[in-house]
Amino acid sequence: MTSATSEKKRRGGWFREEFGNPERRLAYYMVLPAVLIIVIIAFFPIAYSVVLSVTDSTITGMGSFVGVENYVEMFKNPDFLEGLKNTVIFTVGSVALEFVIGLGVALAVNRAFRGRGLVRAAVLVPWAFPTVISAVMWRLMFQDPIGIINETANALGIISQPILSDATLLLIACILVDVWKTMPFMALLLLAGLQTIPGEVYEAARVDGANVMQRFFRITLPLLKGTILVAVLFRTLDAYRVYDLFWVLSSEQLESLSTFVFKSVRISQLLFAQGNAAAVFIFVTAFIIALIFIRIFGMQTGTEE
Amino acid sequence: MTDRGEITGVSASRKLNRRDFLKMSGAGLAGAALLGAAGCGGGSSGSGTLIFGMGPDDAQGTMAALIEKFNKQSDFKVEHQVMPADTGSYFDKLKTEFQAGTGNIDVIGGDVIWPAQLAANGWILDLSDKFPASEQQKFLEAPLNSVTYEGKVYGVPWYTDAGMLYHRIDLLEKSGYSEPPKTWDELQEMADKVTQDQGVKYGFVFQGDAYEGGVCNGLEYIWQHGGDVLDPSDPNKVIIDSPESAAGLATEASMMSSGVSPQAVSTYQEAETDAAFFQDPGNAVFARQWPYGYAYLDTKGYLKQDQVGVGPLPTEEGQDLASCLGGWDMLINAQSDMQDEAWEFIKFMTAPEQMKFRAVRATVLPTRSALLEDPEISKIPVVAQGKPAIENTHARPVSEYYSDMSLEMNEQFNAALKGDVSPEEAVSTLQESLEGIVEAGN
Repeated sequence: MTSATSEKKRRGGWFREEFGNPERRLAYYMVLPAVLIIVIIAFFPIAYSVVLSVTDSTITGMGSFVGVENYVEMFKNPDFLEGLKNTVIFTVGSVALEFVIGLGVALAVNRAFRGRGLVRAAVLVPWAFPTVISAVMWRLMFQDPIGIINETANALGIISQPILSDATLLLIACILVDVWKTMPFMALLLLAGLQTIPGEVYEAARVDGANVMQRFFRITLPLLKGTILVAVLFRTLDAYRVYDLFWVLSSEQLESLSTFVFKSVRISQLLFAQGNAAAVFIFVTAFIIALIFIRIFGMQTGTEE
Repeated sequence: MTDRGEITGVSASRKLNRRDFLKMSGAGLAGAALLGAAGCGGGSSGSGTLIFGMGPDDAQGTMAALIEKFNKQSDFKVEHQVMPADTGSYFDKLKTEFQAGTGNIDVIGGDVIWPAQLAANGWILDLSDKFPASEQQKFLEAPLNSVTYEGKVYGVPWYTDAGMLYHRIDLLEKSGYSEPPKTWDELQEMADKVTQDQGVKYGFVFQGDAYEGGVCNGLEYIWQHGGDVLDPSDPNKVIIDSPESAAGLATEASMMSSGVSPQAVSTYQEAETDAAFFQDPGNAVFARQWPYGYAYLDTKGYLKQDQVGVGPLPTEEGQDLASCLGGWDMLINAQSDMQDEAWEFIKFMTAPEQMKFRAVRATVLPTRSALLEDPEISKIPVVAQGKPAIENTHARPVSEYYSDMSLEMNEQFNAALKGDVSPEEAVSTLQESLEGIVEAGN
């Protein structure tokens, strides 16, 4: 009883504490304009999108309320399901590969050697290109009459058809291009994390007789957990929203969630409301992914213990 | 003591200067913002200038020359507002402007697949009263169909395009052929022989990618075998599921499966076709391409004019010629406040004299039937050799939901070409989805 009433008093007390105090109230008033602007710019479009997704609007005008019909239609739409499948496979595949390769590069660059600064800069070069440019460049390498990768793969007998005309091969190509492009980002984030691990820990482990594998799995990985989660969350959310890479590399053939939204909202006349529903779906699922990382994997979002 | 006084004096004056500076910059920013807002407000073009929206001018600058000529002889000026060269981006930009309700562009140079989509939303003007039937008769049939929606005419056909067959005269002669093929079977036969005899890389290249051009190619095969997408007498009836349409798609797929066309043709757009056929040393015997391809010949790095012939596409035994209609129409923005002036400009640009000017200078094909008989125009190689193609064009389905139909068709045509689905499956899937689109629209 005492705890309950003291809880209530604490809650009531917080409110009175914040708004009863004239100085703190002034602080809230001063922050209000900035908060309003953020709400209008950031939240209004999202709210409007949600509203559009529960009506049958078209590009020419607002429609009437239809409940969850758009969402039901969307889940029955084969293009949407294909986009969802491609996006999920792409996300899992590219983030996993980027992580493994990025960690390797970070470990290699972690020890001081001559020319390390230069190597670090060189590793960053793919990341520096705009995605559209790299996509066009790689598409030329995959294309049938002139692409070197296509020629080599066909000559070696690994595949027997043009890479760009098969959906599976296209997806694999997109994953590889994305790994090429964003592995440096992973590597640099993980490198920053590696450099916070003090050298004494390794010395002590070596004295205790731990071998390389044990040092890696028992010391490096656990101490790196925070950095790994941050890097993997960023990359997962980025890969989930893939659009320009798919659109340009496959010349609009490969569907992803974002290309589905674009086609439905900009090109099609009839799927406008469904496109909005898909956009809301992307927003909600991305939110859930972030929540999973924070709650379940225990990603730290601040300095609280 | 004096030092401190001096120091305070200096810092005090510095503090005031900073405050003054902040006051001045604040006033300056506010003033600039006000000016900007005022400038935005008065942004619409002053009355007296007609805005003509169209993609970039051709290499010979014929559009600019004609606009200049018009400006000299009229009491208002016309300004060419350059829109994106890519037709998809142009349409996007146009739709955005219409949705925003800005009536800036008065006359629109529109792709032949746009009039129905724009008219259904009330964005372009009905020209039936200005453009009477007697005048309409003077234009070619298919271009006129492309501007007609629900019985009313919404634009004037400006220039036209038709899918054509290009062939290598020199390679065919070496293998003993003096004439281009008339049927698809003949084409496959000739292509096989020439590629075997002379080691040419590809027999036949065309646009098979899943995009608008792929729809054009697929539709050509369907029309040539006697099928169609929408019933000509009832645009709400979908008739694509027919043995004729399936036979057409089967012919297209056989190009790839028989090896006459490379496997990569299912990723080819215009650029790849050009590279394969027109660029030195010319790796293909036949190509399906639009008339603009002829302009490549006799330029550096490309084949010579006497190596290449152009003509109508082959067709199925016993069927009429058919090729896909391309081209551009003149439309008037329904929100424009210079509608009469817009009509004056359109009358000028679509007059026989102006069309002939563009045809002779830039090989831009006229839409007036009489001009195709004109001696000067008949000398243009594309017209001389390809006139039957231009006279036998079919318009793509004229529907306000053409964008949706195009997305469905390009997917199925590409799948049928690659052999992922059989032609029968493709046309029956299309029948279902196109019927769904027509229903959803009504």
